[in-house]
Amino acid sequence: MDWVNFPWDKAFIILTVLISGLGIVVGVITPAIGQMIVASKALNAIARQPEAGDMINRVVIISLAMLESLAIYILAVILILLFANPLRDFILGELVG
Amino acid sequence: MELEEELTPFVVFNLGPLQVTNTVVHTWIIMIIVSIVFIILGKNLKVRPTRFQNALEWVMETIDHLIRDMIPEQPRLFLPIVGTLTIFITSANLGGLIPGLKSPTTDLNTPLALAIVVFFSVHYYGIRRKGLLGHLKHYVEPIFILLPIEVASELARTMSLTFRLFGNILGEEIVIAVLFLILPVLIPVPMMLFSIFTSVIQAYVFTLLTVVYISGAVEAHK
Repeated sequence: MDWVNFPWDKAFIILTVLISGLGIVVGVITPAIGQMIVASKALNAIARQPEAGDMINRVVIISLAMLESLAIYILAVILILLFANPLRDFILGELVG
Repeated sequence: MELEEELTPFVVFNLGPLQVTNTVVHTWIIMIIVSIVFIILGKNLKVRPTRFQNALEWVMETIDHLIRDMIPEQPRLFLPIVGTLTIFITSANLGGLIPGLKSPTTDLNTPLALAIVVFFSVHYYGIRRKGLLGHLKHYVEPIFILLPIEVASELARTMSLTFRLFGNILGEEIVIAVLFLILPVLIPVPMMLFSIFTSVIQAYVFTLLTVVYISGAVEAHK
């Protein structure tokens, strides 16, 4: 294989897109599982004690927001990777030549 | 790329050394709309409320109850800042649905500015309620080893407030923009309906977290 003339710039872009796609999948599935647990436990708690619903609601929304932000971090990282990668110039310019 | 142009802010004109981006212009437009609506609604208030006054009172009472539940002592002190944040974020998020306008919250600078306001107001109210030493003592309780963790969580809080609002609204806008590129007729409509829900929920979450942080700073330690 001809490593000198290998199109590293194209490979870099393909890898970025591949990693972004995989990353958003993993990054959405894991907080979704956490949110699922929170929601089902909260439903159980409200069904057991409906009069505590307001307090449970507030705590649930806060914890769902916290879990939500994990997925958002992944989204932010992937947007940076795709549109504003700070390493792009370094990798394409200096390493590849 | 079309999508990228739609999502990044650009400079509209220069005001002396300041560069005024389209985010700022859109914020001004939303501010003007909100001000006009609230001035008209609040002009002649009656004892027996009309339809619109009822809506206005509902908004006020919801925010007031939210604060009252979390901060039992002097809850009215926090109504101005929390109410302003709620109304501004809600209208800024929903502003993206108006054709030609873009949500100011899709620019990272707007949520960051709001989160910095929250950061400083938490410390302001904490110092005002408990004094400088009383406020700082909160960081070394129960033992001083936790000090770095408390400081780190203080910073992470601001960052997570910023990115939560920014990421949610931006994600929504990206999905709508992508659907719009595929087929501009009818396809983006369900997503836009869903974005109304997300916008209001995100404004509520931001408000709720602000109240939680302020109540953490001002609550009396037993």
